[in-house]
Amino acid sequence: MKLLEALEILRSPTASDAPRLNVYLGCGFTPIYLETYLRAHLKQRLPDHVSEVKSGLFGDLAGNLERLVESNEIAGLHACVVVIEWPDLDERLGFRTTAGWRPENLPDVIANVHWSLDRIAKAVDRIGDRIPVVCSTPSLMAAPLSFAPPEQGDAMFWTVEAALSKCALRLAGNERIRIVNPRCLDSVSPPAGRADVKSTLAAGYPYTLEHTDVLAQALASFIVPRQALKGLITDLDDTLWLGILGEAGVDGVQWTLECQAQIHGVFQQFLQSLADAGILIGVASRNDPELARQVFERRKDLLVKAGSLFPREVNWGAKSHSVTRILRAWNIGADSVAFVDDSPMDVAEVAAEHPDIHGFVFPKDDPAAVVDLLRKLRGLFGKSSISAEDKIRAASLSARETDGCAADSKSASEEFLAAANATVHFDCTNPPQGGRALELINKTNQFNLNGRRYTEAEWQNFLRSAGAFVCVVEYQDRFGPLGRIGVVAGIGKEHALQVTTWVMSCRAFSRRIEHACLRYLFSHAGARQIEFLYAPTPRNGPVRDFLASLLGTAPSGACIVDRDTFDAACPALYHEVVVHAPATEPTASPRE
Amino acid sequence: MSDVDTKLLRCFQAVFPALTEEQIRTAVRGNTPQWDSLASLLLARTIEESFGLEADLELMNHLESFDALRAFVAERVGA
Repeated sequence: MKLLEALEILRSPTASDAPRLNVYLGCGFTPIYLETYLRAHLKQRLPDHVSEVKSGLFGDLAGNLERLVESNEIAGLHACVVVIEWPDLDERLGFRTTAGWRPENLPDVIANVHWSLDRIAKAVDRIGDRIPVVCSTPSLMAAPLSFAPPEQGDAMFWTVEAALSKCALRLAGNERIRIVNPRCLDSVSPPAGRADVKSTLAAGYPYTLEHTDVLAQALASFIVPRQALKGLITDLDDTLWLGILGEAGVDGVQWTLECQAQIHGVFQQFLQSLADAGILIGVASRNDPELARQVFERRKDLLVKAGSLFPREVNWGAKSHSVTRILRAWNIGADSVAFVDDSPMDVAEVAAEHPDIHGFVFPKDDPAAVVDLLRKLRGLFGKSSISAEDKIRAASLSARETDGCAADSKSASEEFLAAANATVHFDCTNPPQGGRALELINKTNQFNLNGRRYTEAEWQNFLRSAGAFVCVVEYQDRFGPLGRIGVVAGIGKEHALQVTTWVMSCRAFSRRIEHACLRYLFSHAGARQIEFLYAPTPRNGPVRDFLASLLGTAPSGACIVDRDTFDAACPALYHEVVVHAPATEPTASPRE
Repeated sequence: MSDVDTKLLRCFQAVFPALTEEQIRTAVRGNTPQWDSLASLLLARTIEESFGLEADLELMNHLESFDALRAFVAERVGA
């Protein structure tokens, strides 16, 4: 992105009442171009927001961060960005001071680096306890002050690198702090093209605009992360394995180094690692289903477990039809799914039927391109931690299918529901444990009251607001646990509740869990009525339909359901209900 | 309107989004509150980028008015 483009992005109009995204940019240099690019990248990610970026004093990164921690300003911030450069650790590592590069100065420089990093890390850690922080370590070459040739990594070089790594490791332990991976930065911004010494000396700004753009993009991607994809559909022949199953036979398809098919083995182990992280993996292949079944049954050397591949649509029909059935089984949209196939024609055919799907051609003859593809996919599926729900997602879908319990069965029979031995668990601890509640809110599209997304800071602010309640809903039945599948949150008012956010995983549809949620809110909160801040979105038809089933007509905006209306419309519920944390249960009158 | 004029106007509009075209054409650094030192830096870099000029102090010296910059840039790009 050119600077002019960045400025023009910032000029594009936003509504006068647009929500604000307040970011603190902690750096020791003149922030001017980085601030401009950062705001532009934030605007690209959140076009309906107005981003404000504030910064501190020139040449005092540690002091700026320490002052931020102590100030009231931090309460109004949504995120903090910390960009460390060498002069922030010791001015002699930059070019704007001439305090001496004599060999006898070097131990003092090293001591100063340790001291500065300790100050910065302590302040960043404290900021990270309040708001999300994104941090980048020095991305420029340090000044050539050591007597050793630059090509040699001497003791000073490694001492400083070790201190930086130790600092980054310490910060990475804080779940609200993200550290930019310097190796990834290297791959998109050549190190030799990053420094602008002329600008450093003239204006106190250290980076070329090209590097500024890359750095700002990386920082913005952590402040407003894209929603990770949820599922991957793979082809079999010449993708999951080398060879055509119908020609090579069950024992003839390969994925090992010895058979010159290693890259397919690498792809298999990649898929298993995705599956272990809770990503759904399906198969769409034009193949003989019986032969494919035999591979998954007999070939014990497969690096992806057969049980991790669900559903497996192996038939002679169009790939797009197989993909349609897989999406239906997963009950997720095509925009949350990647499709990988060695045939460009099949990728195009699937894309024509499912324009939102992320289609990728598996470059079977170019191992380097496969590695690039894996990096790209890792970026699309990447997550910061693996939750308990991630570990059981695929298994629960598969188990339900095996037991004939279709995910989209709106007509689940009374007998089926009554015999499900279901338990719904409401945990009203505020703030909720772990990051699952916010993750669910920000990734759920279908059963989502209004599509409202929160930054972490916005969510924390909401939880602290007067009368705020939040219930995390967990479900299990005789088919196994679904884990934490729903969140309902809002504000307690006089004899009423206002539900501002309500989401439920699509895996939990057709279990009357939404009815159980409302019954819980009416009975435990003592509310006579509940106001739902419903707003239609392109995807939240299930919420509209549910509210319509209670109200008798589909709502067009916020609506109120009173207790009598709910009781009259509520079908029989068979769940056992378990409630946790009564001290923070929702209450229909404001707390002091 | 010359190519230099059009491109320069675009640079000014990007850096000073609150100014109208007429205000930009008559803008003088001393009587334009938005035209501070940071705006000068942004303007200089957008002009360098748009016209493929090398960053230099001479450009900074002409950051006084739209007219002065137009004349300077036209001379440098041979327009």
